[in-house]
Amino acid sequence: MTAVAIVAPVRRRLTGRAAVGAGILAVLVVLAVLAPVIAPHDPNAIDPSRVLAGPDASHPFGSDALGRDVFSRVLFAYRVSLGVAVGSVLVAMAVGVPLGLLAGFYGGALDSLIMRPVDLLLALPALLLALSLITIIGPGSGVVLFAIAVIYLPILARVVRGSVLGVVGEAYVIGARARGVSPFGCMVRHVLPNSLGPAVVQASVLMGFAIQIEAALSFLGLGVQPPTPSLGLMLADGYQVLQQAPWADIFPGLAIAIAVLGFVLVGDGLRAHFDPHGVSR
Amino acid sequence: MRYILERILLTIPTLLAMSVFVFLLIRLVPGDPVQTMLGFRATPQNVATIRHQLHLDEPLITQYREWLSGLLHGDLGRDYVSHAPLSELLRSAIPVTLELTLLSMGLALVAGVPLGVLGAQGPGLARRLTDGFVIGGVSVPDFWLGTLLVLLFSATLVWLPPSGYTPFTADPLANLRYMILPVTTLAIGEAAYISRTTRGSMEEALGAPFVTFLRAKGLPERSIVYRHALRNASVPIVTVAGIQFGVLLGGAIVIETLFGLPGVGRLTVTAINQRNYTVVQGAVLVIATLFIVVNLLTDLLYGWLDPRISAGGER
Amino acid sequence: MTAPLLALDGVSVDYGLVSAVSDVSLEVSEGEIFGLVGESGCGKTTLALAVMGLLPRSAQVRGRIGFQGDDLLTLTEAGRRRLRGDRISMVFQDPEAALDPAFAVGEQVAETIRAHRPVSGREARKRATQLLTEVGIPAAAERYGDPPHRLSGGMQQRVVIATALANEPALLVADEPTTALDVTIQAQILALIRELRDRHRTTVILIAHDLGVVAQLCDRAGVLYAGQLVEVAPVERIFDAPEHPYTKALLAALPTRATGRGALPVAGGGVPDLADPPPGCRFAPRCPVRMDACERVPAFTSRAAGHATACWHVEAERAA
Repeated sequence: MTAVAIVAPVRRRLTGRAAVGAGILAVLVVLAVLAPVIAPHDPNAIDPSRVLAGPDASHPFGSDALGRDVFSRVLFAYRVSLGVAVGSVLVAMAVGVPLGLLAGFYGGALDSLIMRPVDLLLALPALLLALSLITIIGPGSGVVLFAIAVIYLPILARVVRGSVLGVVGEAYVIGARARGVSPFGCMVRHVLPNSLGPAVVQASVLMGFAIQIEAALSFLGLGVQPPTPSLGLMLADGYQVLQQAPWADIFPGLAIAIAVLGFVLVGDGLRAHFDPHGVSR
Repeated sequence: MRYILERILLTIPTLLAMSVFVFLLIRLVPGDPVQTMLGFRATPQNVATIRHQLHLDEPLITQYREWLSGLLHGDLGRDYVSHAPLSELLRSAIPVTLELTLLSMGLALVAGVPLGVLGAQGPGLARRLTDGFVIGGVSVPDFWLGTLLVLLFSATLVWLPPSGYTPFTADPLANLRYMILPVTTLAIGEAAYISRTTRGSMEEALGAPFVTFLRAKGLPERSIVYRHALRNASVPIVTVAGIQFGVLLGGAIVIETLFGLPGVGRLTVTAINQRNYTVVQGAVLVIATLFIVVNLLTDLLYGWLDPRISAGGER
Repeated sequence: MTAPLLALDGVSVDYGLVSAVSDVSLEVSEGEIFGLVGESGCGKTTLALAVMGLLPRSAQVRGRIGFQGDDLLTLTEAGRRRLRGDRISMVFQDPEAALDPAFAVGEQVAETIRAHRPVSGREARKRATQLLTEVGIPAAAERYGDPPHRLSGGMQQRVVIATALANEPALLVADEPTTALDVTIQAQILALIRELRDRHRTTVILIAHDLGVVAQLCDRAGVLYAGQLVEVAPVERIFDAPEHPYTKALLAALPTRATGRGALPVAGGGVPDLADPPPGCRFAPRCPVRMDACERVPAFTSRAAGHATACWHVEAERAA
């Protein structure tokens, strides 16, 4: 019931933007998943004869400083970037949604108890929080995923809490309580499905930004570590050879932008349907 | 008045909580932080001395107290790798970061707000263009944009330097030359957000009931849009600007690294890479404090912009 | 007889398929307080906005609105803007919605002055303070800088009135100025309007759905039903000798001592759908004395001086 309630209306009334965004994402996901099959070359294959070579038929995005095919690397890098982006937001939702639900539903002391520490996480700028966690734990894609999840947790919790507060006063919830439905049942069956809308919108947009954060961290050398390809790392390497081989910088960056664009468009489209009054953001 | 005091007082627990977090940063690192920090310079005596200086063998509460009191006296600790006191390092780094972020935010507002106003009430074409700009600005990673700007302005047209820095006090013109690219890079992404928010809240303000009365008074349209609607729309704009300042600080970290600006951001990144924990601690503390202070200022600004907020009413 | 200040001639307003105002003609003389009565949705506010030129662009307006000789409907937007706030002003129902929450009340009065008169900021401020005092705001100089939310509803409406009268307009359109206020404050505001009319010879069009308000304040009144003007008369005649069946029904529905504890008489049926209104008289479907002729729009006929009704039945009775 829950899944249908959310998905069915979406399919029926997907706005133009969301459709474009969804299309982009679908293509990227397919590319990422099928990367081992589609990629024309081994992303890690070093080819001294093609160092800094420009784009051509067999290497549509050119080659980098080690002669590696940029296109293949981008495909494999998508796997990591998309995986981290989606994974981190899902984790953030897994923790943040219940927290927001509890805080909004019960209110009062529990609300303060939950939201105070959550809000403290908002006191640090996102990237700084991520860097702090990386300082403690060390760099790596796993840490990045965890860090981004921590950053987004309070945002999602707040959004859910906000919409729960709105839903809790609705007639059908009060009616359910009056019928003797347990508080837990109320929360899960009535409040939750109707509060998820804005959170889903936010989640979509956050996934887009997660890609950017991961890229930034990898760019700084503190995120995904070589030899795993990452769009951010590729940008860092590409910048070194900017003048001789601009394609090593342009294409990875473009890849990031397109992915983010996909998520943002989907989020915008979903917002038009789920959250026209702007509860989120 | 009371509103101002209230806001300031509320900031204190946040600052404290943040300080606790930063304090714990070093102490949560697995293994012996001092050993890692000193790396090959670690000798048993060094390690012992420094551990003693950092009070690492004492109970946590005492450590915190010592550290906090040191802070309040202006002593942020030392960089044990270069032997410089942190306050010195930070004193030269902070102005760079401040200049970068303030100029970027300023430029973003100057460009973004009019764009947003235009998008709210201008012709359809303007609306679609601003839409495109917003979506593009939000999607494009700012540091990639930086590299593109460098490609264009430094590598191809050799107009601007790709990296480097001179303090403003030393040579204002050179300073600006170095800052143009980094500031523009950050400002473009920021302007996208700001214009999006401006447009939304302007549309809302222009639809508010008092606008009909303003028209009934026979006020010129220009006055209605720029004096009244914008003033009422400014609260969400200021809110977003305040929140975005945090994002900007994060972005500054990356941009400083990219453009070789000796700011607190780059200091942080270098220190993390070098496992120079005390420096990381000091830099994070500074950036976080800056962020919290800006949020406070934003709060105070709202109170002035919308008198209902400072009266404790709802918006 | 002097020319009327405001003369509506065959004014109709449509929003696409919806006919909000249909062929309304009436005249308002200088210095009088004219009441426009009708239930919600009858078109009174639409008519007021038409006079002010504040209708949305999607509205189609036909007819002629003569004001001091000019046809308001032929003016450009710039021309209309010059008149608004200067020669014609409007007061709205909800004062809190009318005032800009981010600006001081005094300033909002002053800017109206500055928009239409070449005065200095200081002069405007002085005049605005005077106006605030005139409308009965105590300690006007201190309250000048207050934001609207610091004032009570009644005070806010006084500020709105001060703004409307700042440039001594010839015509004031007051759209249910007291509906949103407490009953006690209502009386004060109405008294204020009368006082200002007496002092400045401003002509007032008072829109109301409350007949009691009309009785207190107006010299003449017009009754609107579903966008059509059905009766116009001096106020005493409306109450003492109503002619149109709708007017009678309105009055009959007012609780008086005579009705005691019985049920109030209710006119059967409902307001017509303005997207598909009945041809002719729009009250006909509910009218207790409807005739076949009512399928054509009745013309206005006068009996006594100043009392006109649009009703075939009334006309038939008169001929008899």
